[in-house]
Amino acid sequence: MTIDRRTILQAGASALALGLAPQGALAQAEAFRIGALNPVTGAGSPYGSGMAAMILAAVEEVNAAGGAGGRQLQVFADDTQTNPQSAVLAAKKLIEVNKVNAILGTWSSGVSLAVIPLVNDANILLMHTSGAPALSVPPANAKGYGYRFQATNDRFGRAFAEIAVKEGYKRPATMAFNNASGIGNTQGFKKAWEAKGNQVVAEVVYEPNQPSYRAELQRVMAARPDVIVMGSFLPDTTIILREAFQTGANVKWIIPGWAANPQLVSALGNEPTEGIISVDSVSNEQAASFARYDEAYRRKMSQPGASNVYAAMTYDMVIALALAIEAAGPGAGTAQINAKIREVSNPGGEKVFTFADGKAALKAGRKINYEGASSVLDFDEFGDVTPDFGVFFITKGKLDRRYVVKI
Amino acid sequence: MEAYLIAILIVTAIYVLLSLGLTLQYGLTGLINFGHVGFFCIGAYAAAILSTAGGMPIGVGLLAGMVLAGLAAIPIGLVALRLRDDYFAIVTLGFSETVRLVVTSEGWLTKGVQGIPGIPKLIDGVGTGPALTILALVGLANLLAVMAFLRIVKSPFGRMIEAIRDNEDAVKALGKDPARFKIQVLVLGAVLAGLSGGFYAHYIGYVSPDQFLPIVTFYVWMAIIMGGVGRISGALVGTLLLMGFLEGSRFLRDLLPFISAVEMASIRIGVVGLALILFTLYRPQGLMGDYTRRK
Amino acid sequence: MAFWIELLISGVVAGLIIGLSALSITLVFGIARFPNAATGDTMTVGAYGALLGHRATNSLLVGGLTGAAAGALVGFLGYWFIFRKLAQRSNVALLVASIGLAFVLRAILGVSFGHSQQVFQLPLVRPWRIGGVPVHPNDLVLAAACAMILAIVFAILHLTPVGRRMRAVADDPALARVSGISPSGVMTVLWLLAGAVSASAGIVAGIKTVVSPEMGWDLLLPAFAAAIVGGIGSPVGAVAAGLLIGVVQELATPFVGFTYKIALSFLMMLVVLLVRPRGLFGKLEGAR
Repeated sequence: MTIDRRTILQAGASALALGLAPQGALAQAEAFRIGALNPVTGAGSPYGSGMAAMILAAVEEVNAAGGAGGRQLQVFADDTQTNPQSAVLAAKKLIEVNKVNAILGTWSSGVSLAVIPLVNDANILLMHTSGAPALSVPPANAKGYGYRFQATNDRFGRAFAEIAVKEGYKRPATMAFNNASGIGNTQGFKKAWEAKGNQVVAEVVYEPNQPSYRAELQRVMAARPDVIVMGSFLPDTTIILREAFQTGANVKWIIPGWAANPQLVSALGNEPTEGIISVDSVSNEQAASFARYDEAYRRKMSQPGASNVYAAMTYDMVIALALAIEAAGPGAGTAQINAKIREVSNPGGEKVFTFADGKAALKAGRKINYEGASSVLDFDEFGDVTPDFGVFFITKGKLDRRYVVKI
Repeated sequence: MEAYLIAILIVTAIYVLLSLGLTLQYGLTGLINFGHVGFFCIGAYAAAILSTAGGMPIGVGLLAGMVLAGLAAIPIGLVALRLRDDYFAIVTLGFSETVRLVVTSEGWLTKGVQGIPGIPKLIDGVGTGPALTILALVGLANLLAVMAFLRIVKSPFGRMIEAIRDNEDAVKALGKDPARFKIQVLVLGAVLAGLSGGFYAHYIGYVSPDQFLPIVTFYVWMAIIMGGVGRISGALVGTLLLMGFLEGSRFLRDLLPFISAVEMASIRIGVVGLALILFTLYRPQGLMGDYTRRK
Repeated sequence: MAFWIELLISGVVAGLIIGLSALSITLVFGIARFPNAATGDTMTVGAYGALLGHRATNSLLVGGLTGAAAGALVGFLGYWFIFRKLAQRSNVALLVASIGLAFVLRAILGVSFGHSQQVFQLPLVRPWRIGGVPVHPNDLVLAAACAMILAIVFAILHLTPVGRRMRAVADDPALARVSGISPSGVMTVLWLLAGAVSASAGIVAGIKTVVSPEMGWDLLLPAFAAAIVGGIGSPVGAVAAGLLIGVVQELATPFVGFTYKIALSFLMMLVVLLVRPRGLFGKLEGAR
């Protein structure tokens, strides 16, 4: 990480020396500055360093292919501490001191909601992985500068509903961690489920960090559900599933992929986790872009790329942004670049999987469709990706993808 | 660069109001308030709710925050009369956590864990102009608070509350009832915290329950202990140190590259803890000296 | 009916954890005369210590002993380097210093073990059914362990000479000193004991849930509430109040909901402080 630290100090010094440059005005051949604003510490810390590392890796890749729109990319990294107050100060530093032209990789909804007014004022783009629905629409996204690379909680919930229908469940109950993401998932499920004319038999919202969740489980089980749909995270999922098993509860589970993962299996063992349905937005694992991302992730973090879905998203953020910059041509401002994002990522055009290929195709005058590592990156009118969802069944301790749900 | 420094100064000024309130309560009167963030939260949410869903002008929200925080302090004050210091501390901690639980649960009012986004700014517009105006406004509030503080310290009221801190039994023996004064002090401190919360809401633009955890109270305690309990200069210096530490840790990683970023959060809390321990052990009067003669 | 019994059982188990940590708090409060906010993080230390011990030997007993030893050590070091030097100061100073210690402990654990959860790898078993109510053997084992710890603490306090000295200091420190009881010997045993007891609470909590650097701090407030409700200085009171709070919280859940049930412990504490400040069994005055 020394490269960007030196760059920060250089940028700071030159900013002081040269004085203020006009906001948003991009001189010819001047570097395009990316603010990597990630949850390096705090609740998002399992993902933050990987997210930052992948932004760097993608930038290196783009620069090695000759840059975008005649410009090299430059990264300034900072830590949100997964805390809106800290994120606002960090964003101000990136915008005012480092003069970034885009901010990439905010993770928690609270952070993105606090930062998006600042990027709107500064007329720069924000690409994030947060789930809160409020980020899609005005007032947060009034200028259309916000892009969401993660499926909204709402979409997750709808996927859960499709799965429940497909698996033939009739009496679902929900359990949600008391935060925006957890509740977003279960509310999304409830809305979609009830829209089909069905009923949710019990709903429970639980607080974090309790010594036991037995009472909550009891409430849910009293309604005799056949499946429990969770909006949860790893620690509480571990506790709840363990207690469910140890009280002899006989029920099926639909759980988001970040909670029902190999760590859950290693914590609980095969028997309690057998048959759990784990749902995650499909990483484009078959795509060449995923292979590149995976290789870079292993190189920098010594872990498989699949262990950090958010890092795949930040990698894609840089590539998609760089292709848009390339398509917009030299000297383009935020608005022009913004106009090209959907053009280079959405269907219609030649599928490309790397920056170099995309750049070559653009130079030859062809329309492209970048298929990313995290998803195929098709943005709707709100700037949200519309990924497919992989449905994994935990079988003998392994996650086995049986099918894909499109919503 | 200036805009970033202005941003830091604004947040510092917001925290100074919190420190002044706590100095009044603990420094001058000896009340151990471990629930300061509860008043901060009330002020912030009042301002947020009234200016968004309520559609009221910003001034109304700020005022309401101050009033509501002050009112919340009255029952706490009544409880304080009956308890010795350390029990009171625990009760106030319970208070601030209860406030947070209420905010989390009553989603119809507070939007619960989703938080309230889109809180209007004090002054609209971009760039250094409006930012400086905001700084001026918060700075003005600070100035007024400091002036009020000085008047209190020099007044009979001020002497009375310091007497209560130093020797409450003597005060009672003289026929004065400390109860009334304690409640007044708690209310005043809470009002300052409520105002601070209002400014905070309008500056960050987004409030959610997990921005009002007890750690915020302990940051303010750290500020007044380091700066010097019981003195205005202590509150100011301590808050500057606190902000310097919180923001500086952002740059610290550049100086200490062998520390992984993930460890930074732990290190930050470790330094807060160490500061509390070391100052308590070796310099209880803080950097600016101590008006309190109690050990 | 089975519904309520299940809740009751759940409350008892949660109450044991609260009760054990309240026991540690009341011991320190009664003898060293200040509320020790580092109790929560000592619990976390105990949990991590037990985790290491269990991983190394695959024996829960060894893990438990390691964890208790870790807690005892932390308790002693805290006394030796911090609280001993503050003995003549107001209890605000001690309280603030204990918060500082809590933060330092949490920081050290965070840096050493990281923030992701760790679990005790124990075999999971299905419950026994007694009259239609699922009763889990693990819960019984934990309850038995808690009872044993309680018995040990009582034995020390009432059957050993040092325990007699501790109780003397708790009742009247000035008189105890005049009688020739050296404070440092008593204090050393006190802090070792208090540390081991909070560590045990942490170990039980860690086994029932997950181990993470924040876990102890989150359980601290109910523990304080229990210590106060039970009466400061009364070990019986602390554990009884812990059980009471645990049970009340669980039984009230159908009425107040899962978020507000946490506030119940504060409410009970407040009521007790206003109505009967001595607490259920206490001797120390909590009020003016």
